Amino acid sequence: MVCSSGLLAVLLMILESTRPGLPSPLRPICDLRVLDRFIKEARDTEATMRGCREGCSLGEPLAVPLTSVDFAVWEKKDFAEQTQEVQAGLWLLGQAVGSARASVTDAALHSLIDSSSRNIYSIGQVLHSLNIQEYTPSTGMSGGEDTWRVSTVSELFQVQTNFLRGKVRLLLSTAPACNKDGS
Amino acid sequence: MTKVESLKHWGFFVFLCFQKATFLQGARNLETKVALLLAVEPQDPKCFAEGMEDLTCFWEDDGILEEYTFMYTYQYEKTTDCVVTAQPTGGSKARYFCKLSKVQHFVPLDLHVYRGGQRIHNRSLFVEHVFLLDPPANLTVNWTGKQGQLRLSWLPPPLKYMDNSMIYEISYVIAGRQMGKLEVVQANTEITLRGLQPGTRYEVRARVKPDGVTYDGYWSAWTSLVSRETPQRDMDPLILTLCLVISFILILLSLSMLLSHRRFLLKKMWPLIPNPENKFEGLFTVYGGDFQAWLVHSSGGLWWRPGFFYVEELPAPLEVLSEGSLGPAVSSRTVPSRALAALGEEREDEQEGMGKADPALTDRWNPQPQGQWLFDQLWPLHQHSLPPFDSGPLESKDTYVTLNQGSQPEGGEGPLDDVSEESLPLQVLFATPGTPVSQSDLGSLRHSSGSGRLSSQSSFEYAHNTWPPKSSSYAYLAIADSGIYMDYSPMSSARTGVVGTGGIYTNEYENDIHPHKLPHPGQPIHSEC
Repeated sequence: MVCSSGLLAVLLMILESTRPGLPSPLRPICDLRVLDRFIKEARDTEATMRGCREGCSLGEPLAVPLTSVDFAVWEKKDFAEQTQEVQAGLWLLGQAVGSARASVTDAALHSLIDSSSRNIYSIGQVLHSLNIQEYTPSTGMSGGEDTWRVSTVSELFQVQTNFLRGKVRLLLSTAPACNKDGS
Repeated sequence: MTKVESLKHWGFFVFLCFQKATFLQGARNLETKVALLLAVEPQDPKCFAEGMEDLTCFWEDDGILEEYTFMYTYQYEKTTDCVVTAQPTGGSKARYFCKLSKVQHFVPLDLHVYRGGQRIHNRSLFVEHVFLLDPPANLTVNWTGKQGQLRLSWLPPPLKYMDNSMIYEISYVIAGRQMGKLEVVQANTEITLRGLQPGTRYEVRARVKPDGVTYDGYWSAWTSLVSRETPQRDMDPLILTLCLVISFILILLSLSMLLSHRRFLLKKMWPLIPNPENKFEGLFTVYGGDFQAWLVHSSGGLWWRPGFFYVEELPAPLEVLSEGSLGPAVSSRTVPSRALAALGEEREDEQEGMGKADPALTDRWNPQPQGQWLFDQLWPLHQHSLPPFDSGPLESKDTYVTLNQGSQPEGGEGPLDDVSEESLPLQVLFATPGTPVSQSDLGSLRHSSGSGRLSSQSSFEYAHNTWPPKSSSYAYLAIADSGIYMDYSPMSSARTGVVGTGGIYTNEYENDIHPHKLPHPGQPIHSEC
């Protein structure tokens, strides 16, 4: 945990420095333990949200990315497709979590939701360090085949956990930037 | 053509055999995993994933295969049916298996088992959370080169994307014992075991499981045991150096001791055996130790010169005082020529010996008229006859010569009987069997001995003869001797030239000879034969 927190501190420092938008070359973050820490936090949040009974419902169903991975299908896709899928999903997820922040009335859950938002942003920066293209939302992506609809907060955070564990991690583990370095 | 056909047949046969072997191996593998799951998983149906694209579920029941329906549903997808197969387990129960055709990860999966329309089992799981992998392959154990260490390495499960998500458990135990130790290795396929006992055989095995962060599952079966002996305890170089230095020092010490005491040791180990060969020329080399033969054949002159035997010895002058009529005594008994013959030969030696004689002795042996008279008496006798020596022992053992320290003889002309013991420097005892002379002399001798005078006895054959004293007033006593010159009197250590056989010293004088009463250093006693 100390190691992960140290890594997170470094990551946040890097992210803060790159916030003005200057295209500063980032060192590729290939260590999957960084992502594993985000996954663990998301899992804790999901567990907490599962116990939520009151003040946890969403106003309207939110679109969330698909988390299922069929390896046979996944391996057939090229890296660009995978990148697109992951970046779109992350964007969608970020949007959903932001909407949920407004819907949830319980103040104790607000901190968890805020933490999740920050984590999603950080993961985006990690992907950016690996020269993975950022997602630009285009019209018609909000609803589609590649999305699901969730109606409860617990479902939302379950999706977040599964998405991070699945597609995001797979993308990171096969990122060319990391494989070229031999890590 | 038949050859090709036969080759085809053979190839097909080999292929079949290989397939059968693989199938059997797979079946055995499945049995092992089923047994594992039955032990650790309480929920039904029990499901496990062996790879990235499969999922196998089973349950045990005592129904008929046709009764069962297996349905599974991924989140946000439609329900799919799964084909159920049965495997009898012996007895009434059977195992029912279902292998899913579509596998998706990172998405909840709902499983439903129906028996005759009634749902008997219900379970929701993530496929990436029920991995049950094969044991790690190629577990090898090697020496590291350091003491008490073993290096283990193995191959990870051949699954994509899961290299960093594995944990391994290593179990190592001393061969034959029950209690072992466990080591957990994360995201690494090798480990060095430390702190092991040297020269001990260890049995090692490993198993694998996903680490639980992204992927999770059950512990795999253990690999087969791999045993290896740790290297023996090697000598610490410091201890080895110290041992070498200490042994080197010990060797040096022992060598120096040996060298400093080499003479002593040589004497003890190889004692010098005195060899009389140089005295008896040809005795051992020519005659092989036969002394009689040597006596006969060797040159007689050697024998006739007693000086040959003891050339190193200083002839000590003897003063023989004879009181009374020695003339008739001379005639009655023949002086053994061997004694007297030697006398003449000895004169030259004795002259020299005289010169070497101690001045104290010279003082005592004061040339007296009687000494001269004695010598004159003895000398003709010597010149009379020189019969050859006999090699036999002394014929008479009852005549004694004593040398006394003390006053010079005063009246040497008197008969022996009249001589007082104190005044006699030399008492010559003529003890023929039965003569009273010997008795009195015995007494006198005893007395003289008791007074601390030095007494030296030697037996000689003398029949009241006077011996020719030397012109320089030394009287020499010719003593018969038949054997080799030897010192075996108790006072022989003081250069006493005592001659005679062993029987001489046996009787009359019980306490006269004191071994510690050595001759006066200034008084060499010399007896000649």
